[in-house]
Amino acid sequence: MTFLRRVPRRVIQLTCFVGAVVLIWPVLPWAIAPRFFQQASPFVVLSSSIAARSIGVGAILALIVAVASSFKKRWFCLYLCPTGFLLENTSRTGLRKTSWWSKCPPIGRYVAILTLVGAAFGYPVLLWMDPLCIFSSPFAVNKATNPVSVILVCLGLGVLVGATFVFGMLWCVRICPLSGLQDMLFAARKALWTKLTASASPRFRVARRVFFAGGAAALLAVWARRAGAARYRKSDTLLRPPGAVPEDRFTGLCIRCNNCVHACPTKVIHPDTGHEAGLAGFAAPIIRFDRDYKYCLETCNDCTQVCPTGALTPLDLQQKNKYIIGEALVDNDVCLTALGKKECDACELTCPYDAVKITWDEAQYNAYPVVNDKCIGCGACEVVCPTTPVKAIRVWTQKPL
Amino acid sequence: MSKDLTRRELMRRSIAAGGLFAAGSLMPVSSAQANQAGGQSTSHATTEAETRVPATIAGDKVVQPRRELPVLQKTSILVVGGGPAGTAAAFSAKRLGVDVTLVERYGYLGGLATGGLVLAIFPLYDRNNKQVIFGIGEEMMKKLDVLKFGIINRNKAPVYPTIDAEAFKYVLAKMVLDSGINAYLDCWGVDAIVDAKGAVHGAVFESKSGRQAILADIVIDCSGDGDIYAAAGAGFEKVKSFIGIVSRIGNIDEIDLFAGRGPEDHDKPLTGKPGSGRPSGGRVNELTSSAYGHAGLLTPAPHVNWVNLRGPIADALDVADLTALELKHRLGTWANVEKLREKPGNEQAYLAETAPQLGVRLSRLLDGVKKLTFEEIRSGAKFKDVIGYSGGAGDADAFQIPYGSLVPAKVENVLAAGRCISAEFKVADITRLIPVCWVTGQAAGLAAALCIQDKCKPRDVNVAKLQNLLHQQGAYLG
Repeated sequence: MTFLRRVPRRVIQLTCFVGAVVLIWPVLPWAIAPRFFQQASPFVVLSSSIAARSIGVGAILALIVAVASSFKKRWFCLYLCPTGFLLENTSRTGLRKTSWWSKCPPIGRYVAILTLVGAAFGYPVLLWMDPLCIFSSPFAVNKATNPVSVILVCLGLGVLVGATFVFGMLWCVRICPLSGLQDMLFAARKALWTKLTASASPRFRVARRVFFAGGAAALLAVWARRAGAARYRKSDTLLRPPGAVPEDRFTGLCIRCNNCVHACPTKVIHPDTGHEAGLAGFAAPIIRFDRDYKYCLETCNDCTQVCPTGALTPLDLQQKNKYIIGEALVDNDVCLTALGKKECDACELTCPYDAVKITWDEAQYNAYPVVNDKCIGCGACEVVCPTTPVKAIRVWTQKPL
Repeated sequence: MSKDLTRRELMRRSIAAGGLFAAGSLMPVSSAQANQAGGQSTSHATTEAETRVPATIAGDKVVQPRRELPVLQKTSILVVGGGPAGTAAAFSAKRLGVDVTLVERYGYLGGLATGGLVLAIFPLYDRNNKQVIFGIGEEMMKKLDVLKFGIINRNKAPVYPTIDAEAFKYVLAKMVLDSGINAYLDCWGVDAIVDAKGAVHGAVFESKSGRQAILADIVIDCSGDGDIYAAAGAGFEKVKSFIGIVSRIGNIDEIDLFAGRGPEDHDKPLTGKPGSGRPSGGRVNELTSSAYGHAGLLTPAPHVNWVNLRGPIADALDVADLTALELKHRLGTWANVEKLREKPGNEQAYLAETAPQLGVRLSRLLDGVKKLTFEEIRSGAKFKDVIGYSGGAGDADAFQIPYGSLVPAKVENVLAAGRCISAEFKVADITRLIPVCWVTGQAAGLAAALCIQDKCKPRDVNVAKLQNLLHQQGAYLG
């Protein structure tokens, strides 16, 4: 009997697991498919919709999951979640077979509350803890251009698998914010169903928890937004992928799913070590024009189409080609033309937007590249600039007005 | 300073180099001219019996009366312009035993490579640093190889060779004298001679001897500006590019732009964001700042650098533009040297010379049988009538040049070579460079010689034969 009951669940789980891989991996001809994977998570959709003050079509999927989970406890975890499936099997072969973690407090619920309240302040604090994002992140490994990026994209899932192997199902049962949210949805539905039959004290305890978690979330959100904005003002080299929302909200809305890293055909999007945007921006995507790789193509807007949370606003090609990633600036102390070393006009020739012109300056009695306001910072000039070791023309952070 | 080169010493050296050239110019250029010159030099009084007819004022117009022009020479192939393309054309044609006449506007050969001080032999290589230009140009460089201070950075791809202008003038003068080409210097091609059908039969020249005609079966227009094909009525595109002037600076030592920085420092930004208070510790090298003016690049002559000046965009066919730039560029060049002297160690630097010729990049581009497009060179197009390669420049790799780019679409008996061939602006911006002019010049010279031998029009030249001849003369066709 038990055997029969267990088999269908594992079949469903396996099917979902394969389905997830198909969605994330670009097997489908549909470029925006990866987005719908993370949008199956009500945690992601709810938080990002609140934070971005907008709701997308993808929310329907999350709504179905949410409603189903409020009727059958942890239905999503048991049947659909590919991370859950992976961790369940890991724990089976792992060291701990006991359920000692049941003594652990329900951290996942606090994470969910913290994130939702933070989202109300425009900064969903711990949204990156969503299990679906953690699952999809390592799929960008084929676009990683250096060992650091490989480590960064695999870090989340690696830690979960490792921890599960050693400690058992701690994550799924106690820490995962998606399961925490499901638990709360289930409890809320039940509370409504039973028409306030419970005594006052547990409700008071819940209210207190929500109050403290919410307060902490508000503080964290405000701090993170201010820190992000300050960091952005200070940085000269921080470049986000096209469509990125302002920096103060970006690091919160971004869930580190690495869909954009995976989508980029020229590999200019990298997960950040925190070097560019600090701890708040850890593993969030940045743009860097490595010398051997290409620039942000004028024929591509893929990264803006795959973001599940709206951290990268969906832009059509025309809009994307107007989105300002950064500004190209010329260093006349390095530029071969400005220094009269060589008659180089590589930047002028290569610019897809006609934004660089070698210009004669009568006062200086010299010619050098001048960048006009058509520049969006695509980096075509930077990668083609022949100076070494430093490029004479580079894309820098453009400060908001 | 022991490295210092005094002005006196430089003078001495240049007189030594120039002296050879001067001696060469006194020798007979060809047997016919030698007799002429010898005959005249015996007497100081010339018996010039020509009747000059000046221009007259007719009403409010100035009119040049119709007149007969003396024919200076009848020749098989007339090459107008003695720059890199013209000399390459003349030498390669002469080697097939054809009668060749070469006419040059200035008093020396080499055009912009010598008189323009464009000393960089660029672009020679493809993306893999393989040299793709050989033939006559390689021969000329080999002749420079054996001269002291003649050429540097040979076979050091991707670094391109740099020549010495006087050494190159010497090499070309010697090659002309050895080859038996009829050469006329200080002689400016001003018009085409066409028949009733519009086919070209020579060109008109202006010199101290007055206005004279040279009749030829085939004319190769290596004037740079396409003056002859334009006069003959061939279609062309008029373009404007920047016009500068090159100078040479004595008593200077070039400083490596990134001295002391190895490849291991690639990730470390050396300079901060331009214009926003740079990190002071991050300066590349205090002494390479553009505030100190242009120090230029090394030349074969010790302690002498050549300095390029890009210049503004101007009309190379407008004498007002040319005059303004000739004057202003001399002021700018002088100011650059003054700025340069402010840099510690350069106090004794001086302006050795400004180039006699303005650095005109492009003016006329021929409407040829084939217009070479940027798309074609970018996609690595292959041509059946390939006559040579240009090296790669910028992000363009080495590319093929078709014979059709040298042949006018309309007019007969003319070929173009050098910077004024049939190509889109962006392509011509590469094909205008010195070694590529050698390539198109050599091909045009051989094609013209084939026209004489096979009694055909330039557009009907047997391309297989032409390619075979190019191979025999050491050219690279892929």
